[in-house]
Amino acid sequence: MKKPVSNVGTQDEVRSVAEEALSALMDDESPELELRRLLKSGDSDPDLKQQWFRYNLARTAMHGEDITFDSDFAARVRAVIDADPEQQQFDQQGQNEPSERAGWIQSLGSFAVAATVACVVVIGGQQLASVDSENAESVARVAPIPVGVVNTTGAVPVQASFGTTALPALQPADRTAYRELARQRLRRFSQEHAEHASLNTPQGMLTFARVPLVTQELRDLNELREMRELREKREETRDEARDAGSQ
Amino acid sequence: MVLYKQFLLKTPLGLQRVPCVPSLRGPSELRARKEPNERGGKAEQKVQKVQKGQKELREKQYSFRSSVRACIGSFALVITTVSSVVAQDSAQEDECPQMDAKVQSLLQAMSRNSADIDYSGVVTLQRGSDMQIMRYSHSVSAGRATEAISRLTGQDARIVREAHPTARKYPGHELLRAEKAASGTLCGLTDHYRFRVREGDRIAGRDSVRLQVEPMDMYRYGYVLELDNESALMLRSTTMSVDQREIEQFQFASFDLNPGREEQAAVEHRAGNPHPQESSHLRTGPAWSVSWMPKGFMATDSAPPDSARKSYTDGFASFSVFMEPLNAAIKPGEGVERQGSTVCYTRGMVFGRVPVLLTVLGEIPTNTARMVADSVRMR
Repeated sequence: MKKPVSNVGTQDEVRSVAEEALSALMDDESPELELRRLLKSGDSDPDLKQQWFRYNLARTAMHGEDITFDSDFAARVRAVIDADPEQQQFDQQGQNEPSERAGWIQSLGSFAVAATVACVVVIGGQQLASVDSENAESVARVAPIPVGVVNTTGAVPVQASFGTTALPALQPADRTAYRELARQRLRRFSQEHAEHASLNTPQGMLTFARVPLVTQELRDLNELREMRELREKREETRDEARDAGSQ
Repeated sequence: MVLYKQFLLKTPLGLQRVPCVPSLRGPSELRARKEPNERGGKAEQKVQKVQKGQKELREKQYSFRSSVRACIGSFALVITTVSSVVAQDSAQEDECPQMDAKVQSLLQAMSRNSADIDYSGVVTLQRGSDMQIMRYSHSVSAGRATEAISRLTGQDARIVREAHPTARKYPGHELLRAEKAASGTLCGLTDHYRFRVREGDRIAGRDSVRLQVEPMDMYRYGYVLELDNESALMLRSTTMSVDQREIEQFQFASFDLNPGREEQAAVEHRAGNPHPQESSHLRTGPAWSVSWMPKGFMATDSAPPDSARKSYTDGFASFSVFMEPLNAAIKPGEGVERQGSTVCYTRGMVFGRVPVLLTVLGEIPTNTARMVADSVRMR
């Protein structure tokens, strides 16, 4: 009797921690490691994903922007793919046909699916570069990532490229998450960039004024990063051990 | 006294614009200053010519090698190449006419004097509605410079670079001084920027000369530099976007050619003196390279293929590329953060089999950062 109770307790604990982290993220107060963990746990926890979506929706509404009800974009695209009779046919064929032919048909089928996906998502502009030509066969299985880049100079139109991993599960939040990542990178790397910019541009040392937060020593920053990663790893293994022990 | 002599000796500009310090301008002194400078200038030009000639010679030899070998003897070959070098030399001068002598001397003086002279002042950095104020000082003794910035607004921080050898050459300044042509080009800066000299505003109580630096492509920003009439030091630097908006401005509010005072702050960062050839690097694991960047950019230091950071400069602009392997998978995507002329473009992707975060950070347009990120390849 005790076992399931303690299990539920742990899960609740994990959830509330995750929700807290989520809330911190929405307030731009989340450390980057937390974000990564959140991205990971969002995969396995649909409720958390929904919550993230709701938070984003609320924030978007607060900023007075248009709201698109896109609660589970990934699921919708997946549904389109699954509903495609051609794709089903190919899937069945793929199991029976000799592998050589199947590969050929697969790529054709992939193309068809890619077209279907492209109907769902409007993409514009010109391709900058293919992300990874080695994994071309899996290209059709994924949806493009919405691009948060503002084309400031108009030199090159921006297009979402087809990635190679599974359908992004946190589509609406990804933009926010990546914006946050970029913000954190700016904070983290500015000083290191300034070290070199200051020696190679006319503004010299003044380039350090662009650094948002000056830190004592660059080395400390790296050490700090390593320490945090180690701690995270340690926590993970401890959690795993505890889960294994409780079952 | 010593101070003024110091910079006058090293300033070609000082020859044209004699400073308003009467006690300094004895005729004998002027002569003494003039001679080494003229000789130095000529020698430099000669070296450049010879270098150009040698490069041309090599190219010429390569392209004509087969035909020349077929029809002409070795004596004729010598005559052909020598004459072609002479012809090419004069042709070269026509191809790079934009960099006039005045611009050249201004840039050289700005670059040299910013390293060699003692000066200090209060500087503002304006980015949109945000303004930061800092105190800057630069002093040299025995060929070693100490520079410091103390923030007067925002974070209580001070950045110091000590005992920096002023003679050490960095790619950015070599480009400014035209001591080194950018890779793949012979004209260096004039291939990517157009220059114009005007009369400048009065800044920090000093007269200035305005140097307009316009980019020839959309991969980099433009600059308006206002340089001190007397010392060619930068009094104001404005970064201009492609559509001619001012996106960032450094400006001296007060400026004096006196050694700075020692200060204290809560956070004191000691800036390194990374050597352009032998700087140390944090290794990441995967070996990578940037396969495209706008013409004229070159590496600021010799980074190994697996370095976590690689930095590039074209003399005016600079950017760094950071590679971070992650220990967990990440959704592919991208994000941008901009502050003034600085852009930070981060992209999550799978590199080979390793999930990585790739960041391009620098004073370049967003599109350029994105295209640079696009071109990063595994080695």
